[in-house]
Amino acid sequence: MIDRRLLTNIDWMLIGFVAAICLLGIMNIYSATTPYKIVGAPYYLKQLYWVLFGLLVVTVICSLDYHILEDFSYWFYGFLIILLVAVLVVGRRSMGATRWLSLGFFNVQPSELMKIVIIATFAKYFTSVQTVNGLSVKDVLFPLGILAVPVLLIMKQPDLGTAVLVLLIALSIAVYVGLRWSTVVTFAVVMVPLTWFGWAKLLRPYQKDRILDFLNPERSRLGSGYHIIQSKIAVGSGGVFGKGFVKGTQSQLRFLPEQHTDFAFSVFAEEWGFIGCLVLIVLYLVLVLWGLNIARRCNDRFGSLLAVGVTAMLFWHIVINMGMVIGLFPVVGVPLPFFSYGGTSMITSMVGIGILQNISMRRFMF
Amino acid sequence: MNTDREKWARVRIVMIGTIFGLLFLSVTGRAFYLQILQHEELVKKAERQHQHIVQLTPGRGVIMDRNGTPLAVSVDMDSCYAEPRRIKDMDGTAGVLAPFLGTSKQELLKKLSCDKGFVWIERRLTPEVAARIKNLKLTGIGFVSESKRFYPNSEVASHVVGFTGVDPVGLEGVERKYDSVILGNTGYMVTERDALGRDIALKDTVIKNSSPGKNIVLTLDKNIEYIAEKELAKAVTESGAKNGMALVMESDTGRVLAMANYPTFNPNAYAHYSQAVLRNRVVADSFEPGSTFKIFLVSAALEERILRPTDLINCENGRYTVADRTIHDTHSFARLSVSDILKYSSNIGAAKIGFKLGDERLFRYLRNFGFGERTGVDLPGESPGNLRDKHRWYGVDLATISFGQGVSVSAIQLVSAVSAVANGGTLMKPYIVERILDDSGREVQKFEPQVVRRVISTDTAKKVTRMMESVTSEGGTGLNAAIDGFLVAGKTGTAQKADPVTHGYSATRRTGSFIGFVPADKPKLTILVVIDEPKTSPYGGVVAAPAFRSIAVNALAYLKIMPKGETQKTPKVVAAQTPPPPKADAASEGDALDATTGVAVMPDFRGMSMRRVMQVMEKRGINIKLMGSGRAVEQNPPPGQTIRGVDEVWIKFTPSA
Repeated sequence: MIDRRLLTNIDWMLIGFVAAICLLGIMNIYSATTPYKIVGAPYYLKQLYWVLFGLLVVTVICSLDYHILEDFSYWFYGFLIILLVAVLVVGRRSMGATRWLSLGFFNVQPSELMKIVIIATFAKYFTSVQTVNGLSVKDVLFPLGILAVPVLLIMKQPDLGTAVLVLLIALSIAVYVGLRWSTVVTFAVVMVPLTWFGWAKLLRPYQKDRILDFLNPERSRLGSGYHIIQSKIAVGSGGVFGKGFVKGTQSQLRFLPEQHTDFAFSVFAEEWGFIGCLVLIVLYLVLVLWGLNIARRCNDRFGSLLAVGVTAMLFWHIVINMGMVIGLFPVVGVPLPFFSYGGTSMITSMVGIGILQNISMRRFMF
Repeated sequence: MNTDREKWARVRIVMIGTIFGLLFLSVTGRAFYLQILQHEELVKKAERQHQHIVQLTPGRGVIMDRNGTPLAVSVDMDSCYAEPRRIKDMDGTAGVLAPFLGTSKQELLKKLSCDKGFVWIERRLTPEVAARIKNLKLTGIGFVSESKRFYPNSEVASHVVGFTGVDPVGLEGVERKYDSVILGNTGYMVTERDALGRDIALKDTVIKNSSPGKNIVLTLDKNIEYIAEKELAKAVTESGAKNGMALVMESDTGRVLAMANYPTFNPNAYAHYSQAVLRNRVVADSFEPGSTFKIFLVSAALEERILRPTDLINCENGRYTVADRTIHDTHSFARLSVSDILKYSSNIGAAKIGFKLGDERLFRYLRNFGFGERTGVDLPGESPGNLRDKHRWYGVDLATISFGQGVSVSAIQLVSAVSAVANGGTLMKPYIVERILDDSGREVQKFEPQVVRRVISTDTAKKVTRMMESVTSEGGTGLNAAIDGFLVAGKTGTAQKADPVTHGYSATRRTGSFIGFVPADKPKLTILVVIDEPKTSPYGGVVAAPAFRSIAVNALAYLKIMPKGETQKTPKVVAAQTPPPPKADAASEGDALDATTGVAVMPDFRGMSMRRVMQVMEKRGINIKLMGSGRAVEQNPPPGQTIRGVDEVWIKFTPSA
């Protein structure tokens, strides 16, 4: 159980950054959902419940030593692969994709859990691999296999956003372990035909559309390019100081798509302007740097790898979402951690924070 | 070797941190580019999108009297619009629609052939016309619900309640002063979302419903208001005056119970009246108070202890010259007590008291009574009156101001100041709004009586009250205001009006007024009646005092304030003067029929002009919704049928050819 000494080591900075972002998020959801016709509990209240539930998850995770993950990660991995296959066979379809697995009284999204499990699996694998000059091509073949199975299964759902995220998380861990230049070059050469294959055979037409739309939004003003244009207008018309709380014309008149979930940052940018964006970006930046700091301070290789992986997961969510909202990346359905409305994203992110807190608390134990 | 590995691990952490930081920086850079460099261009784009958004008129909250009787309500009505691009048969559509709308086909065609994707055909149609057009099922013609202001009591309290314009913005009265409270939020409808990349199915969706505003409960009592308006109208017409006003205030609190102007107007058709009729003179106009001002002069003199009520003053037998001017009294007296100067309204006596008091003290007391500055009543356009600074009082000014010449006051100021005498010396801030309720009837704000300052001591107030009682006693100028069974404290006023041509005083144009409070021994109501330019007699004691008396008698009976002493005589008077017992039940008064009048049968209005119809409405006390313009062609209910129980009484007009 939790050691009394651990309580004195609680990482309040970590909790503080997360709480600050969550509060801004709830406030923003309040504004973004003002024009909605709401049945039942308002969104901002539901989000508050998710935050509180998330903090409970953090507490539960902290009470267990993270080395449990080291012992069980391969088992988790195997179990999740089974779930991902199950999704494709008996999953619940919604909005043109099959991502959910109905367990009777509630639904789970195995691809979401896979983000955490791939971190644990990679951390476990690389703890045992000894390299001096970085990973050679041979060293990465096995982890590549571990990665390829879930990524392909997730792409099949299809869920491009999650697949890309799992790839980026894994890549970040590999970079931390160290790659030889020869490995990097080899992969660069191999990627060219692979990309062509992926484009031609794996991507769905709507996914290709989104990438093309991103490259040239004017290509289909009436199609999915609409999202990018509307979001850019909302963000840009916010100016330096923004239009004020609940005063964003683009969001209040609902020109923005999914403005309480994936495009929540767009509402925030419109109402609080560049100043507000700076505040939020800086909060996320210090959160991410703090996560890396936890990895740096950790004396245990597994813990360090785990911390880098979790931090990378948060980071890529943040950057891909913000980049999408301001037209830097194509539209992929990636939520902004702690900020977008939604229970799944909140729980995944809070599990990540629980793991970071766990590692940070136990740094003096070894 | 192990330490070497750890060192490299740390280096790579820094490397990863740097990569992450750089990506954050690029996001920040992009935000900077969009929000600062491209800001203006994107604002333009945003505005262009808003052209595809049509605003929907928000509803307004209910304005009701203190018993909950609605004085202004909002009714949902259908507005009709066209989307010209979807209309295939322009000519046909215009031809079918024109007869319903009272416009010509050509005009409608011009409207329809504009280049916009959306055009209003007619806003706030009557339900029956809307239903008929809907039945035609024309493509490209749509409806959306908007609200229209309706005043179920027509003229009653129209100057206080005010009215709204075509846009639902309050233009006068409480409607204007509390506009931001009463007005709900504007709704929006998307008209052309398809052009922005959404399906046509999403078009015409109301994306944000307009919401109703908050409700307002006035201090006004509709029944007392009705009494005041009726008696004022009688006094003005009988004296052949130009116009008049009456005001009833709770003496202790400053609550306005009735505020009447004559002539009145029907806020449902305010556009038919001149600006002069629409103005709430009680608040917006100032006039010379004349002799009523002597109340404050005497109050100051007693409070300063320079005179006692019984002290005698030489009244110079009716002629007294000050500086270059001779002051006259209506009746000449040799010597009068201070009390009798008030009773007989001697100008010379007043001037003498003024001299004893001196300009400094008189000015100070007049300011303290609230003259020369706005009372702060919650109605728009209040006049501060005109009380010149004492440094600018020359020659005869001290003498004339003492009897109310050379100053101007608003009716609301005068009533507030006299209320201060009535309630024992405290000036209260007058107010008209009692409570603000949200749309589900919960109280949002309550206004409490507000003390401005203490002006005179209770003792002085009592003495002045005794003196004012003598005004309505045998031989006093205000005998016409006396009421059996009640002590009435009051003062008459007769002022010459300034002639705009000669800049002197007009010989013929005068203002007669009467102000007072009842019951004088325990004041409840302060009442003022002002009759402007009466023809029969210029004296306030003749033209205004009887109206004061009628208002007081009826209001006291309505408020169940029982006379003391001669109780056996009074019920008869009360019974004769009381209007049919007014109902306090809000629901029964919500319909179009005025509960205080007993009209039951609908006259035949067909063929009448709107002006004529309104005259009949006024005479018969019927409240009718007027639609369109021109001559009456259709009415509900038909002539001769009873009005009671009919949902909506209306008359439709069409322009005569």
